[in-house]
Amino acid sequence: MRVLATLCLVIPWVCLASSATKGLVNTNVIRTVDLQGLPFVREQVGVVIQNDHDSKVFKTYTISIDQDKAPNLSQLQVFERKSGHSLDLTKETPSTYRAVLRRGLLPGEKLSLNIDFVFVSLVQPRPQAVKQSDDQSWLWADNSLVPSVYPTRKQKTVVRTKGDVRAFTDGGARDGKQSVVFGPFTGEQDGGRVEVGFKDNSEQMEALTHRREYFVSHWADDLNVLEHYALRSLGPESAFDKVDQMVSKYMHRRDNLVKTLLVKVPAEAREMYFVDEIGNVSTSAVSKQRRAKGEDAFRVMQLRPRYPISGGWNYTWWHGYSLPLSRYLKVSPQSRHHLRLPFIGSMAACASLEGELTLAMANAQNTAVRQYELRVTLPEGARDIAVELPVAGRARLEPTKYYFDSIGGRTAVVITHENVAPELYARHILVSYSYSPWALWMKPMMVGSAFFVLFVLASIASRMEYGLAPGGRSLGAKSKAAKKD
Amino acid sequence: MVKKVLGLTVADQASLLRIAILGLISLVAIGSRLYSVIRFESVIHEFDPWFNYRTTRYLVNNGFDKFWNWFDETAWYPLGRVVGGTLYPGIMVTSATIYNALHLLNIPVDIRNVCVFLAPAFSALTAIATYHLGKEVKNATAGLLAAAFMGVAPGYISRSVAGSYDNEGIAIFLLVFTFFLWLRSVRLGSALYGALTALSYFYMVSAWGGYVFIINLVPLHVFALLAMGRFSNRLYVAYSTFYVIGTLASMQIPFVGFQPTFTSEHMAALGVFGLIQLVAFASFARTLVPENHFRVLLRGAVVSLFVVGLSGLVLLTMSGVIAPWTGRFYSLWDTGYAKIHIPIIASVSEHQPTAWPNFFFDLNMLIWLLPAGIYFSFRELSDNHVFLILYSIFAAYFASVMVRLILTLTPIVCVLAGVAMSHVFETYLNFRDVPPSSPVKASAVSSAAPAADKAQRAADTVSDDVAVEDTDSASGHKKRGKGAKKSAAKAAEAATDTSADGAATPSTPAPNELSPGLKRFYTIFPKFVVMSCFMFLLCMFQWHCSWITSTAYSSPSVVLSSRGPDGSTFIIDDFREAYYWLRKNTKPDAKVLSWWDYGYQLAGMADRTTLVDNNTWNNTHIATVGKIMASDEDTAYELARRHDVDYVLVVFGAMLGYSGDDINKFLWMVRIAQGVYPDDIKEEAFYNQQGRYAISDDASPAMRNSLMHKLSYYRFAEVMGGRGTDKVRGQKLPTSVTLDNFEEAYTTENWMVRIYKVKDLDNLGRSHHAASKF
Repeated sequence: MRVLATLCLVIPWVCLASSATKGLVNTNVIRTVDLQGLPFVREQVGVVIQNDHDSKVFKTYTISIDQDKAPNLSQLQVFERKSGHSLDLTKETPSTYRAVLRRGLLPGEKLSLNIDFVFVSLVQPRPQAVKQSDDQSWLWADNSLVPSVYPTRKQKTVVRTKGDVRAFTDGGARDGKQSVVFGPFTGEQDGGRVEVGFKDNSEQMEALTHRREYFVSHWADDLNVLEHYALRSLGPESAFDKVDQMVSKYMHRRDNLVKTLLVKVPAEAREMYFVDEIGNVSTSAVSKQRRAKGEDAFRVMQLRPRYPISGGWNYTWWHGYSLPLSRYLKVSPQSRHHLRLPFIGSMAACASLEGELTLAMANAQNTAVRQYELRVTLPEGARDIAVELPVAGRARLEPTKYYFDSIGGRTAVVITHENVAPELYARHILVSYSYSPWALWMKPMMVGSAFFVLFVLASIASRMEYGLAPGGRSLGAKSKAAKKD
Repeated sequence: MVKKVLGLTVADQASLLRIAILGLISLVAIGSRLYSVIRFESVIHEFDPWFNYRTTRYLVNNGFDKFWNWFDETAWYPLGRVVGGTLYPGIMVTSATIYNALHLLNIPVDIRNVCVFLAPAFSALTAIATYHLGKEVKNATAGLLAAAFMGVAPGYISRSVAGSYDNEGIAIFLLVFTFFLWLRSVRLGSALYGALTALSYFYMVSAWGGYVFIINLVPLHVFALLAMGRFSNRLYVAYSTFYVIGTLASMQIPFVGFQPTFTSEHMAALGVFGLIQLVAFASFARTLVPENHFRVLLRGAVVSLFVVGLSGLVLLTMSGVIAPWTGRFYSLWDTGYAKIHIPIIASVSEHQPTAWPNFFFDLNMLIWLLPAGIYFSFRELSDNHVFLILYSIFAAYFASVMVRLILTLTPIVCVLAGVAMSHVFETYLNFRDVPPSSPVKASAVSSAAPAADKAQRAADTVSDDVAVEDTDSASGHKKRGKGAKKSAAKAAEAATDTSADGAATPSTPAPNELSPGLKRFYTIFPKFVVMSCFMFLLCMFQWHCSWITSTAYSSPSVVLSSRGPDGSTFIIDDFREAYYWLRKNTKPDAKVLSWWDYGYQLAGMADRTTLVDNNTWNNTHIATVGKIMASDEDTAYELARRHDVDYVLVVFGAMLGYSGDDINKFLWMVRIAQGVYPDDIKEEAFYNQQGRYAISDDASPAMRNSLMHKLSYYRFAEVMGGRGTDKVRGQKLPTSVTLDNFEEAYTTENWMVRIYKVKDLDNLGRSHHAASKF
C-alpha cells in the first residue's frame, strides 16, 4: 500500500521531468512586483521561452497563477516584447490561461514575452492593529518562484515599494530603500516563501460592491447617475481613540482615519445628493469647476462619511447627480441612438483634513472594486439594443418597470465585472438602440388619458342618482331636507 | 338675485368656491407641515415613529401574514416582543396600502417617503373632516372656518409635521371623522351612518389607543341626551348600530381583543347600551300602559336596576373579572399618582400636567373663542350641540392634566371657534340688512335676527359663502394685514354701493333722523372696525401658527441644528453617526444596552438588538438597565455580561450643552431601579453632602463610581483641559475617571453619543483592574 502511494507521488514527477526536457522551457524569468500603487499590485513577468523539443511546433503558451491569488486577479495581458503585440488569451481553469502565439514556435527558437498581471488587495497590514495615528505597515508575501507549467532555468523577483522597506525574508537583497531582490534562482533551487514588510501611509480601500446606474430620459434631456458603494478599509485596525483624533485634528497631524471620499464628476453635474441607509449625510461639499490637461472640466464632490473610517470598518452609501443627456447621446439619421458612457466612475478615499485636500488626492487610485455592476436603464420604447464593452464579457438585458411605465416597460443593460483594474477607469461603454420619435410622446399621452378617464368617471359619478326612491331624491338632497326641518 | 357667472348657477358657484377653499386649506395644512423637510430632510422624527417606520418596512417587505405573527427577538433581549399582538396596526397598514398602490402604478416611491408625508396628507383630510363637522353643527361658513383653523392649529401640527410618523398622525383625522359621522347619524337616525360611524371607529381602534376617548364620549353624549329627556328613535338607532358593530369590529384588533367586554374603560359604553334598550322599552311600554301604572313601573324598575347594576359592577370589579383602570388612566384623575406609583410614566415629559401658557402657545386666539363657541352652542341647544359642549369640557379637562392630550382638545376648539367666528361674520359682514332707525326698531330687528339666521343657515345661501370667501382669503396667510384691510374695505364699499342702489334697502328716513350718508357711516363704521380687528387677529393667528410650527415643532430631534454667531446653520448629526457606526461595524447580532429612550431608534437605525425600548412594557427589565447604569463598574460588568451585552451606549451633552442627555435623565434611572431593587440602589446616595446633584469631584461616591458617570466623562477632561466645565450642568469636570471593564468603541464628532465595548473576560482569569495595572 505504502509503495503504491509513493509510486503515485513519484510517477507524475518523473513524467513531468522527462517531458520538461523535451518541450517549452523558460530560460530566464524576471518578475517585478510593483507595490507602489496599493491596493493594486502589478506584477510584470518578463519571460524568455525556448522550444527544446526536437520536432514539435508550439503554438500556445500556458500561464499559471497561484491558486490563492487567482480570486484577486484583476487583469492579465501578454505582449511580445519585441513587437509589442498583445496576444489573445483564453481561460482554461481558474488558475491557468492559454496565450496564442502569433506564429508557431519552431524547435530551438526563442521568444520573449511580457506578462502583466494586476492583482487587488493582496497585501495585508502587519501588525494587524496599530495606534490610530501610527504609521501603517504592510506585508507582501509570495512564493519565491514564479509558477509555471514549464521548467524554469533561471529566475529572480524584484519587489518595489512606496514607503521604506522594514524587513524581508533572508535570502533577499536590499536594493535601495524601497526595493528588494530575491534570487536569482536556478534550476530546482527554491527560495521558499518570501516576505517583504514595508511602510506605506497611503489610504487603501476596497469596495466590496459598487453599482453604477444610469437612467436615460429623452423627455427631460437627463442622464441620471447613481453610484452605490459598500466600502471597507484595508488599513490596520486600531482601537478608536477620540482624544487622539481631536488632538491630531487641532495639531494638523496625520492619522489613519479616512475622513473624506473624493468623487470627480463632470462640470455640468447638477442635483447632487449623498445618502446612506438612514438618510441624508449632511456633511459634504462640492468644489468649484476645475480643469486638468487632457480632461474635460470637472468638479470634485467631497463626501464626508458619517464617521471617519478606520481600518477594517465598513461604510455604505450612495450618491448621484444629473447630467445633460445630449452630451452623451448621438443620433444618426435613421434615428439610431448611440450612447457613450464612462464604464466606471472613480472614487478616492482621503485621510487628510478638509483644508488640505489637493487635486492629486482626488486622482489617487486607492479603491479596489471587487464586485462591480453597471446598469443602463434605457427609455421606454428603445429597441434593437446593441452594446460594446471595454472588457471581455457580455451584457444582460433586463426588463424593468419604472415611473408610470405601463405597456412595454424599459430595458436595462446590466454588466457585471469583478476586480476592476485601474485601466478601465478611462474606458467607455457604447449602447446603441433605435428609438422612434413617437415613443417620446407615449408617456405624456398615457398620463393625460389617465386623467381624462378619471374626469369622465367623476363626471358620470356626479350625475348618477343614488337614491332608492323612484323620484330620485339623492342622499345629499335628503340630508339637506332633513336639516331644513 | 339669481345671477349666472360663467354659466354657473349660484349654488354651483358656492360649491365651486367651497371646493376651491377646501383645496387651499388642504394645501396650507400640508405646506405648513413641511418645514422640517425643508430645514432638515425627509427623515423620521423622534422615537416612537422609528418603531412605526420599522414595522411598516417589515410589513411592506414580508407581507401581512408575517407581520401579524411577527415575534421580534431583537427587542427586549432576551425576552423578545410579540409585535403583531402589541401594536395598533392602523398606521402601518395605511402606509403599506399607499405604498403598494403607488407601486402598482409603477411609481417607485420609497417607503420612508410614504411614512414621512403620511401625517401631512392626513392633516389635509382632517381639515376636510372638520369642515364637515362644522357644517353638521352649524353651516358651511363655520365649517370652512373650522377647517382653516384645524389646518394650521399648532396643537395638531405638533403631532403631524412631516416625519412625525406616529399613530396620532392619522388618528386625529379618524377622531374628527368618526364624530362627524356620529353626529350625522344621530341627526338623521340613519342606520347607514351608524354603521359608517362604527367602521370609522374600527379604523380608529386599529390606529390609536386614544379610541377610548370615543368609546366614552359617545355613550356620554347618549347618556346626557337621555338624562335631558331627549330620547328619540333616531338616537336609539344610531347608538345601537354604532355600539354593536363598532364593538365587534374593535375586538378584531389583537391588541384590543376582549378588552371591550371586561375592562373599566369600556364599561360606560356597555352600560349606556343597556340603558338605551331599557329606555326604548320604557317608551314603547308607555304607549301601551296607562300613565299612572307606568309611573309606578318606572320607579320600581329604575331603583332595582340601579342597585343590581351597580352591585354587579362592583362585584365584578372586586373579583377581577372587570379589569380596574390602568395606571395611565388613574393619572388622569390624580396627577400626582404616577409620580408616586409609576415613575416610568412620570418620567416622560409629555405625560406631565399642562402649564397654562401651553394652551395659548398651541391654540392662540382659538382658546378664547372656545367659550364663545360654547355659549353659542348653548343658545340653541340641539342634540349635536350637546355633544360639542360635552366634548369641549372633557377634552379641556384631559388636556389640562396631560400635555399630549391638547391634541384631542384641538379639533373641538377649532370647531367651536369656527362656530363663534361665523357668528361674528354673519353679524358684522351683513351689509344688506336695514340699518336700524330707532332703538325700538333695533331691538325688533335683533330679536328677528336669530330667525333670519336660522333660515339663512338652513339653506346655504350665497351671503354665507361670499363672507367665507372674503375672510378666508385673509386668514389664508398670503395676504398681510394691509391687504386684508383693503379687501374688507372694498367689500364694505361694494356693500354700500348696493345699498345705495336701493335694491335691498327700502328704509324711509324719518324727518328728525340723520342724513342717509351719515347714517350709513354709523352703520358701516362699527362693522368695519370690528371686522378689521378680527382680520388682524386672524392674521396674527396665522402668523403665530407658522412661527410656532417653524421654530418649535419642526425639529426631527434625531438631527439637531444650531446657529453660529454669523447666522450660519450647523447640522448636528451625532445620533445618526453613532447608529450608523453600530449598523456597519458591529456583528449583526450584537446586543446594545442603552436607556430605553433610544431603543426604537437603535432598532430602526442601527438595526441591532436592544435590551429595552420605548414600549416600556416590562418595568423590571428597565429597572435592571437602570441598575446597570447606576451600579459601580464591577457590578455593572457582571450584570452586563450576564445579559450578553456587547456594547453600551450613552448620550452625553457636556460638549455641546445638549441638556437632554443621560446624566440629566440619570435620576429617573436611579428612581426606577430603586423601585425594583430597593436594597441595591438608593436615590439619596447620588446626592452629594450638600444635597446637590453634582458630577464633578465633589460628587457623592455612588455617583462617581456609577457606570453612567464613568462612561460619560471618561477621558473628557483631557480634551477640555484641566479647568473645563460641563456645559449642561455648569459644573467643573471630574478630574480622574478610570475605566477598566469597558473600552471605548466609538465617540461621535461632538461627543454626544459614546459607545463602549464590554470587554471579554481576561485570558488569564484576572480582573480587568488587575490586568490594566499589570
